[in-house]
Amino acid sequence: MTLLSDIISASAHLHSSNHLPSDEYDCRIRELVEYWRRLQTTKALESFANDESFLDRFDPAIDSIPFLFVLRVQIQKVQELNADLFPADIRPSGKLWTRAAQFLASFDGVQVRYAGREWRLLVELVGQASQAASTPLLGATLVKNAMLRLDPSCAVFTSSHLLLVRLCLQAKAYSCALPVLNKQICHFPISLGRPSSEPSVLCADHGSSVSFMTEASGVSSKISYRDYLQYFLYGGMVYMALKEWRKALHFLGIVISMPSTSSVSLIMVEAYKKWVLVGLLEKGKLIYFREQLCPPPSITTPHVVKVYQSLARPYIILAHTFERGDLKKLNAEIDAAMGVWSADKNLGLVAQVVAVFFSQTVIKLGKTFAALTMADLSKQVFPSPVCAEVTGPAVSSLIMSRALNATLVQTKDHAESSMLRFSSIHSLPRLSHELDLQSQLKQEMKLMETLLINLGETNDNLGLSDEYVDSLHKGQIWSGSSEVNPTGGETGLEMDEDLMGDMS
Amino acid sequence: MDTTLPDASGPSQTDMDTAALEASAAITTPRERVPVKVEDDADKVNEAEPPKFDLDTYIANYTGRTRYDRLYLIGTCSPLLSTDALKAAITEAKTSKDVSRYERAVRALADVAPNDPDASLDAAWVQETNRYVQTQTERLEHELRGYKNNLIKESIRMGHEDLGNHHYETGDLAAASKAYSRMRDYCTTPNHITSMLFKMVNVATERGDWMSVQSNAHRLRNSQSKPEDAAKNLSKISAVSALSQMHQGSYLEATNSFLSVPPDLGDTYNEVITPNDVAVYGGLCALASMNRDELQKNVLDSQTFRNFLELEPHIRRAIAFFCNFKFRQCFDILEAYRPDYLLDIHLQRHIPQLYKRIRTKSIEQYMIPFSRVTLDSMAKIFAPTVVGGEARPTDISSPFVQELVGLIQDGVLNARIDLEKGLLVSNQIDLRAEVQRTTLESLREFNEEAHLRILHAAVLQAGLEVKPEKGEGPGLGKAGRFPRGPGRD
Repeated sequence: MTLLSDIISASAHLHSSNHLPSDEYDCRIRELVEYWRRLQTTKALESFANDESFLDRFDPAIDSIPFLFVLRVQIQKVQELNADLFPADIRPSGKLWTRAAQFLASFDGVQVRYAGREWRLLVELVGQASQAASTPLLGATLVKNAMLRLDPSCAVFTSSHLLLVRLCLQAKAYSCALPVLNKQICHFPISLGRPSSEPSVLCADHGSSVSFMTEASGVSSKISYRDYLQYFLYGGMVYMALKEWRKALHFLGIVISMPSTSSVSLIMVEAYKKWVLVGLLEKGKLIYFREQLCPPPSITTPHVVKVYQSLARPYIILAHTFERGDLKKLNAEIDAAMGVWSADKNLGLVAQVVAVFFSQTVIKLGKTFAALTMADLSKQVFPSPVCAEVTGPAVSSLIMSRALNATLVQTKDHAESSMLRFSSIHSLPRLSHELDLQSQLKQEMKLMETLLINLGETNDNLGLSDEYVDSLHKGQIWSGSSEVNPTGGETGLEMDEDLMGDMS
Repeated sequence: MDTTLPDASGPSQTDMDTAALEASAAITTPRERVPVKVEDDADKVNEAEPPKFDLDTYIANYTGRTRYDRLYLIGTCSPLLSTDALKAAITEAKTSKDVSRYERAVRALADVAPNDPDASLDAAWVQETNRYVQTQTERLEHELRGYKNNLIKESIRMGHEDLGNHHYETGDLAAASKAYSRMRDYCTTPNHITSMLFKMVNVATERGDWMSVQSNAHRLRNSQSKPEDAAKNLSKISAVSALSQMHQGSYLEATNSFLSVPPDLGDTYNEVITPNDVAVYGGLCALASMNRDELQKNVLDSQTFRNFLELEPHIRRAIAFFCNFKFRQCFDILEAYRPDYLLDIHLQRHIPQLYKRIRTKSIEQYMIPFSRVTLDSMAKIFAPTVVGGEARPTDISSPFVQELVGLIQDGVLNARIDLEKGLLVSNQIDLRAEVQRTTLESLREFNEEAHLRILHAAVLQAGLEVKPEKGEGPGLGKAGRFPRGPGRD
């Protein structure tokens, strides 16, 4: 059992180096990972593959690396033995599943940075196994916790992000994805080609996760544009399911405004269709920008916008009918393109658009009227005569859901319908409202701070320092003035000479 | 018909003194006037209502070609005056050399009064005039060619001027303005330039080419003529540029220009505009575009404009009523004079628009001091016929309430209608909440935008732009490992 003692001494070596300066610690941990990778390739670990109690020797929180490698070997062994990718041991509540769950819930974030590839494979396996056992929720929680453990800021996009939202959507456990979705992705794993200004090591305390979540670390598999487009589209769908329209709009906005060289991805077109509908749900109106119909965020390339507008005609027409405020036409428009909605799987959103149309119209009336009878209201909302029984319950449910700040008053003479009185704008319950606002403001502030940090990081990566921007600015002035000079400057010079000639 | 009113017999000079007295009295003791009939939405010329002016006195104020235009307009628009006006127009046309005008007037008269002796063409006159015009054109063109050969600038200029005058008289306005604009190269003194520009302004005014009027008026203002000439021309220039601004629909600018017309305009520019017109146009534009303070300060208290207002005391009274918060009386006056204004060549097109603005603005001004007003009291002022005619004047379907709804939705009135108590309640804005709301909103917008742009940069840096397909890349292989999400609907 020399191997066993060897292993134990190797990891014990690391324990004692906990207090070392980070570069030495870095050195040791690299050695350890190398050692384990070598063991793995030389099949030296075969002997432990069936020994279940062997893993008990390691605490995943302290000996994350040995634990991870041994677990990998055991999983591979089981897969080989059963000739099945997901044998019962790996599936939820299997023996190895429990081990994996134990590891993913308590591993040491710093150590795992060195074994990113193995960590990723385990996370993917857990996700797939839970899918195979049709219990995606179990996988989703594990993946989410593991991701947050490795990188609490979650600012770098990895393939696990996509895996997580996919699992959450399958499990219909939308709020499970929120801790990750609410973190803003600002970077992609890149190879840091330039020599870093300060010699930093993986285990050092990094301000941002970009420096250790690199392409080489293997934390993420190779990413293509489809992956992040899908992630943001799915993320938008999660927010839609939770009716957080504004965030959904933002996520979809990201998808449709991504830079493209010449072609447009169908994912982007899909997102644009949803974007138009969600825009109606969030704002209650079309957003006009430079006289354009349903314009995407301003940084979208123009040719992409044209593609959207030709491919999503029915949606744009629907949005315009919404804007014009005719319920009958809106319904006709929806009926006419029923096939389109169901083919695009947007039927649910379209149905909500109609509901929002009603509430928006009623809320808009609140800006014109302080009080009016229900009969008058239904006359205003529905062009065709609809009996008050339809509007009555609809309005009361609006009031109860707090979408509408109003009260219903029964008038004295019962012959007439009841009176709807819109509350004046400033009669809100002050204190709770203020507190709510304050917390929202604080939240946005925090968001802005993280964004600023990430912005600095991006600038750093791109080599955009203040000095560079300054010199660029100067360069532009130079080139700009050289264009202007031939006409303006020279004539000015000539005039000067003329003046001098006149004087003399 | 209340022709007994001292100010109703038209803008004749003899009435001026009594009218001025009347006007000053009107401010202190507003007279109760019973309107003949108030029409809130009579956009067309009202056939039943006779205009208040006397045709002969009215037309005597003008000189030049505008006389015919005005007579023809009255003749075609007012059934009451049509025969008289068209007959006068025919006589007017016959004294000139403009055959097309004569023919047009005769045709119009034939429609109205086919049996009138004037309603048939005087073929001999037409033929003779046509011949005269043609020979005259040829003669002038021939002379001009001669002048050009002699290369004497002054004669060439005069040749062009004669040709232009001739075209103008015969109604060929395009040719006239072309001939006048050719004069430019041969003008040697500032005086020449001014006279040329004035001629061009006159032609453009008649053609209704207000852009050209505007630009020529601008040139006139900048021309370097002698100070005494400049002062003399200034009144004409500002009057005509105000007119063009009014025609372009910029009423506030027009008001300011009208207000700046010096009082020495007098009868010097009767071929385009009379002092009475300045008063009416300026007064109406001011009512339509200024609030009560500005009206008081810039119009009623203006030293220069006062002279004009004295010519049209009812305009002065209307403005005074408006300033004193008596909108009903103001409307009564304006409505009483609506038929007159609808027969004015320059005002006709703008009256509906101007009146609508005055009305909107008065509702807006009326609302300012109140935090809540009953709809009934408002309706009494702004829609008296509705109050009289309908059982429930403040019902949601009544036109007055609908008008208010429109104003609120357009953002003119910052108020809400309370149909239960019949009130119009002005909105109080909670500034604190407003600031909080906008702060939060701008924070969010900034964050979203910043995130978008950072991501953009990151995508570009990682080289992950959306690229055209190159076969089935490894990306799809990975995606294919997972069954596709069940979608969402």
